[in-house]
Amino acid sequence: MTDTKTWARVKSPWVLHFNSGACNGCDIEIVALLTPKYDVERFGVKLEPSPRHADVLLVTGCVTQQCAERLKAIYEQMPQPKFVVAIGACACSGGVFEGNYNVVGGVDKVIPVTAYIPGCPPRPEAILDGVVKLLNALNPPKPKKQPKQAKAPEVAKPEAAVAQAAQGIVEEEKQVAK
Amino acid sequence: MIDFFMLIFRILIFPGFAFLLLLTLFCDWMERKIEARLQNRVGPMVAGPGGILQPLADFIKLLTKEDITPRAAKKTIFKFAPLVAFTIMVFALCFIPIDGASVLSANGFSGDLIIILAFATVANFLLFLAGWASCNPYGTIGSARVLTQFLGYDIPLFLIALTPAFIAGSLQIANIAAFQSTHLLPFILLAPWAFVLFIITMQAELEKDPFDVPHSESELVGGLETEFTGAKLAFLHLTRDVQVIFGSALVVELFLGGPYGPVFFGASWFWFTLWFVLKLLVVVAITEYITVVFARLRIDQVLSGNWRILLPAAILSLMLTVVLVTWVYPLVV
Repeated sequence: MTDTKTWARVKSPWVLHFNSGACNGCDIEIVALLTPKYDVERFGVKLEPSPRHADVLLVTGCVTQQCAERLKAIYEQMPQPKFVVAIGACACSGGVFEGNYNVVGGVDKVIPVTAYIPGCPPRPEAILDGVVKLLNALNPPKPKKQPKQAKAPEVAKPEAAVAQAAQGIVEEEKQVAK
Repeated sequence: MIDFFMLIFRILIFPGFAFLLLLTLFCDWMERKIEARLQNRVGPMVAGPGGILQPLADFIKLLTKEDITPRAAKKTIFKFAPLVAFTIMVFALCFIPIDGASVLSANGFSGDLIIILAFATVANFLLFLAGWASCNPYGTIGSARVLTQFLGYDIPLFLIALTPAFIAGSLQIANIAAFQSTHLLPFILLAPWAFVLFIITMQAELEKDPFDVPHSESELVGGLETEFTGAKLAFLHLTRDVQVIFGSALVVELFLGGPYGPVFFGASWFWFTLWFVLKLLVVVAITEYITVVFARLRIDQVLSGNWRILLPAAILSLMLTVVLVTWVYPLVV
């Protein structure tokens, strides 16, 4: 039953796109995903108009002060389970706008983020790769066949793994900044 | 006792609920594939061979998602309208002969054409109620548009459905289909104008392009579906897909000779089901082609089109049929 559930969730991620003050570069790359060349409907990805229908929230932009509350409201309207993907350098950390007076800087300062896709703007392939990696993290790795005496290794919780990886990326970026 | 179990089997499995559900999901996949191919894309590919399990994956995913009821919504109607609409649509399909007989009885009864059209009307009204009860501005506008559009095309739909009934001299769907098969003359050849009009009205009934103003994404977010999540959204989507099957099945029965066709060997129910499904898929492909090729009209254009063009055309079509059946066809046949 859990397998079926996970299978359905991995095969049918419906996304909602939110622009929190981006320069429209990342947004164009997201729209490019829907065009015949990249066609994300192959993976069951559909761009949904309403946050009530969406599973994955794609956020672009540096999150301005004005947008922060709206972003939070949109996030809270989405039904569980939900994931947030920060797309572009601005969404990951504030990018070139970091420290600006009217900018919060980084999506993860407002809502929990599951995956970061850096780039200015990231190529459509990179976005697709990020979304697929996020979804594959939902699939717990199958325990390898082992001798009968040995216990199967405990499978790490997928969300924890993603969060850990995300934390790693943030720390790396912070180190780079230093 | 065996009859009783047979009836249960027919209702639940074949040609009842399970068969119809599979057909619905398959048609949904086919529609998405056709749409994708016409737009130079490939469409769903990853879920199952050729992406054939994509509608199933969507359905299961929606069923297992969190179910939110907004505080402002009218709770009872909001919760039950999608489910009841779905039930009524499936019930309406039970009156359509699929394997040579309908699900509930061998030949139906006189007037079941009127009954199933009325069911479709009630289901549409329930969809309106669902959107209205969600108390979301977009949902409310979408619902109002559903009702406005539905007032315009429902009368032409009934009038055009009367054309085949008049030629066959019966209001019983099984009789209309059987008439075409015994005379070896599907009504698409006998009354092509009515077929064209029926397909156009069907597009409006199914809220597909160029008549998809009630849930036009670029204006109304999700139309009446805007506020729905989880299982309720799943059933709204399923209702829409079952409506597509229902409309296409009606076209098959009224204009393409129903499930009847040559039986080569073995059981007749197998061949009848095969012919029915093949004809149904052709009709679905035609409607999907129209959907992809045409752009959306404005709501006022849809309305004036319905009342100024479609309604007079439907009345003219009926008058033409009456003249032909009374004076012309007897000379030819």
